[in-house]
Amino acid sequence: MIFEGTHEVERAVRAVLGDVLGLSPERTAEFTDVTPLFGALPELDSMAVAGVLTEVEDRLGIVIEDDEVDGETLSTFGALVAFAARKTAV
Amino acid sequence: MTGLRIDSYDWQGGHEAMLRLGPDHAPLAIIAPALFEEANRTRAFTLAIARALATHGIGVAIPDIPGQGESVLPTDRASLADWRAAFAAATAQIGGQVHGIAIRGGAIVDTDAELASRWRLSPITGQTVLSDLRRASRHATVNGEPSTLAGNRLAAPLVAALEADEIFPSTGGPVRTVRVDTDPRPADRHVAGSPLWRRSEPANDPPFAATLAADIAQWITSCGG
Repeated sequence: MIFEGTHEVERAVRAVLGDVLGLSPERTAEFTDVTPLFGALPELDSMAVAGVLTEVEDRLGIVIEDDEVDGETLSTFGALVAFAARKTAV
Repeated sequence: MTGLRIDSYDWQGGHEAMLRLGPDHAPLAIIAPALFEEANRTRAFTLAIARALATHGIGVAIPDIPGQGESVLPTDRASLADWRAAFAAATAQIGGQVHGIAIRGGAIVDTDAELASRWRLSPITGQTVLSDLRRASRHATVNGEPSTLAGNRLAAPLVAALEADEIFPSTGGPVRTVRVDTDPRPADRHVAGSPLWRRSEPANDPPFAATLAADIAQWITSCGG
């Protein structure tokens, strides 16, 4: 699935994870589609999930309904980028 | 220059602490800090901005908002009207020409104060304050009480007042809005820095604080000091 502007979405999501979780750019640069997030990053607790979602909304100008978010959405970096890209494509 | 000291102020509903830094004379500024969890996340950062302002020769006050921070008032007895009245009283107590600095949700607190100018960092409305709390509590383990949002017990009138607060009221006087460069919303200036209010752990960003303090100092000078 390639969406127009997916590269920008990926860059924004990477930056949000760095900013919200306090991760270094070196660390977020290593994220690939299969890098596990929720449950694998100790920094990503439930409060941080709220921060990530809100910051992704703000930066991409999208609205995320909380019931659209489930365990899958933040399971991997690729899943989160794909979710955000779908929202920007609407 | 004078160092950090703990002062206090009185308002119609009680007595609250107020940090003071720098000179007691003009130019003077008062900071409306971020609200709820964001206040904890930005505490050190807000103080870093205040310290940097003091080195620019600006006297700075950071009042505790009733029911927030170190205030003895329980959070569930706080109201938006009280926040505004208290902040206005703190501003009046400082006396003279005072410039307002609002961090995030602080922008909804300073509306009733007589301020010479308003400088805002990534301001949010009451509605956004509330939706952020709701989202945080939805993704956190909540203990069931609908009035408890992300660990804060809120009185129904405060929830209703935040819900109704969807635009920044016109306060008259000059306003300058600064946002981080990753935030696409309109601003007078976008500055490189981390949105520390979103951080899951409290953090600080001294270079960002220094850049903002320099911006504020220049702004206050342009508004007549």
